[in-house]
Amino acid sequence: MPKIKKKRVGFVVDMTPLVDITFLLLTFFMFTAKFKTEAENEQKFVVQRPEASADTSKVPEHNLAVIYVSIDSASADTVYHYAISNEADRAKVYTNMSDALTPEQQEQAMLRVENLDILETLIKNTRAANTKTEFALDADHRIEFKWVEDAMERLRRGRATVFNYVTEKKGS
Amino acid sequence: MSGGGGALGVERSKRGKASKRKKMKRVGFTLDMTPLVDITFLLLTFFMFTTTMAAPQVMEMSIPPESHEDVPVKASQLLSLFVYHNDMGEGKAKDELYWRIGGEDMLEAIKLKDVKELSFKENTSSRLEKPNDLIFALKVDSDANYGIVVNILDELNLAESLIMEEFAKKTDPETGKAIKRERRFTIAKITSEEMEELQNTQAMGGEE
Repeated sequence: MPKIKKKRVGFVVDMTPLVDITFLLLTFFMFTAKFKTEAENEQKFVVQRPEASADTSKVPEHNLAVIYVSIDSASADTVYHYAISNEADRAKVYTNMSDALTPEQQEQAMLRVENLDILETLIKNTRAANTKTEFALDADHRIEFKWVEDAMERLRRGRATVFNYVTEKKGS
Repeated sequence: MSGGGGALGVERSKRGKASKRKKMKRVGFTLDMTPLVDITFLLLTFFMFTTTMAAPQVMEMSIPPESHEDVPVKASQLLSLFVYHNDMGEGKAKDELYWRIGGEDMLEAIKLKDVKELSFKENTSSRLEKPNDLIFALKVDSDANYGIVVNILDELNLAESLIMEEFAKKTDPETGKAIKRERRFTIAKITSEEMEELQNTQAMGGEE
């Protein structure tokens, strides 16, 4: 009677297909993963971007300077932030503006801009540090247009006449 | 988990006995994959949670550099689209769109979804002396919502592909080649006179 002879102490499950699929997914996510930039890590606000129809254009990854126009969640005020993605450029800009910025501010990648004159100086210094820098305007869709208009005027004065509006893909 | 480990242990002990080698016929071997799966799953979940799929996209914008000289423009070449912020009080507000050709005509109300059609129609109009002659000026009220401005720009960008298609069909009588589309667009501030006009038009529209 084989039933008594065979004593099962466990069973083996063939895990090969599982491993196959898992590795496939793992490699996919590893290659598509994009890590947060230093500035995004410091970002304490959320920008609800306006929606635009699907486009192939993506935010440039290198030599990017972003002007954020967001709504402060606590005070409901509109505030400007400025971030330079290239660390070498950022260091140059901050050294040039060392009298306008506090030592604390010079540590930050995401700089809160108190007034438009500082924004203009930042833009001018960014362009002086690296002429290849591309500018992007990341504004909340709920804000009034004048805030964007003012930022655009400062970009114009800084001779950055070509820039990008950051948008979200429609329906995502 | 112990099942896999046990199987491996048994096999190894059998392998050690040289005298029984002939009896055992190995058809393959089992490798305990459990730790591998553990680590892989760990990494997989990590990458799954840290990735953001929908990357933001951009809309390119160019503004004219600072200049102090005015460029003369024929009235018939200029199409102005106004975004008027209608504050109805009690916290209610609506952004309304009006358009006209030139500087004197009556303002005409338009809905956002019709902007694409308008741009296409006016840009390909036979009224124009030359193709690419039309200048599209978007004039935005400072109080208007930023979101709606991007929506209008998006509609205009969509119209652009239609215009390009239309232009590709025609040929230039001088060179015989297809006409190249050159977009003439500007974003500008509303002057105080225009603002007054908008207010009047809006008030008239409300009475009807």
